[in-house]
Amino acid sequence: MKRTVRICIFSVLFALGTAFLLYGIFSNQVSSVLIKATHICLECIGIG
Amino acid sequence: MDKAKRVKGEWKRLTVQAAAFLLMNPKLHHFFFGTIEQGKTKSVCVPGLNCYSCPAAIGACPIGSLQASMSGGYKKPAFPFYVLGFLLLFGLTFGRWICGWLCPFGWVQDLVYRIPFFKKFRTFRFERYLRYLKYAVLGILVIGLPLLSAFSGVLVPWFCKLLCPSGTLFGGIPLTLADSKLAAQTGFLFWWKIGVLLALFLLSLLISRPFCRYLCPLGAIYGLFNRIALVHLDYAPKQCVTCGKCETVCPMGINPKTQFRSAECIRCGRCARACPTDALHVRFGLRGK
Repeated sequence: MKRTVRICIFSVLFALGTAFLLYGIFSNQVSSVLIKATHICLECIGIG
Repeated sequence: MDKAKRVKGEWKRLTVQAAAFLLMNPKLHHFFFGTIEQGKTKSVCVPGLNCYSCPAAIGACPIGSLQASMSGGYKKPAFPFYVLGFLLLFGLTFGRWICGWLCPFGWVQDLVYRIPFFKKFRTFRFERYLRYLKYAVLGILVIGLPLLSAFSGVLVPWFCKLLCPSGTLFGGIPLTLADSKLAAQTGFLFWWKIGVLLALFLLSLLISRPFCRYLCPLGAIYGLFNRIALVHLDYAPKQCVTCGKCETVCPMGINPKTQFRSAECIRCGRCARACPTDALHVRFGLRGK
């Protein structure tokens, strides 16, 4: 893969990642992660 | 570990791995009370497979969060923008360097592999086909089945429930030891997960990082970025004397000379440290050629 192609793919994906992260923050997906992470996940520990 | 596989300076990586574990899990007092940390930092994903039900964890596991974010309400699936954003940015910056240097379960496997055992395997016949299993785990247990469950109304994180050894080791065992009410609720599923963990420990005695090689969905995701990630492995063929030391010491059982762009390389740098002619380097920045 040529360097220019790699730079293009990297830049597009980096912009996409940043956009996803910001959209996730503004659409309140942060709270669904927080709620899940602050309660004991019974499935994770093998009970649920 | 036999002499041929010893590499100078390996203690540095083990120290970074231990420090990364402590940075992601600093609230150690929770281990004694059977509780988990509930601060707001837990809305931020950590790069490694670090269960958010580990009592000391101050961040969220990206794979657990990915599954949890697929539900946007009752019978309403959602696209996990927030967690995918983290995964894209982590993957693009570090690739699988995270597996080699930051992942707590990778560290545990490295420690177990250092225990002397009568026979150690670098690889075995048909092993390369087993490596595709982690993509099936990602597709079926992390995305497919949780998404189906989101449509049916109750989201089930199937990977966490059936397979994740990090949840059992860092969450399940300490919490059930500290909290008798939780311990009383354990049943088949708990012992199934203990069995998975023990099997992985036994395998780790024989072969380096079996979970990372064959099952880890997070490694499967980060591996997709290895070709373009900023942290990369450079190989200078003109300097290579084909002594084969890099291949002998690779914990992922690959040949760094020919597979330095491989999705399997965890950028641990053992090959670079073992190379007598400095033909291999772990570098940061966009790859030159």
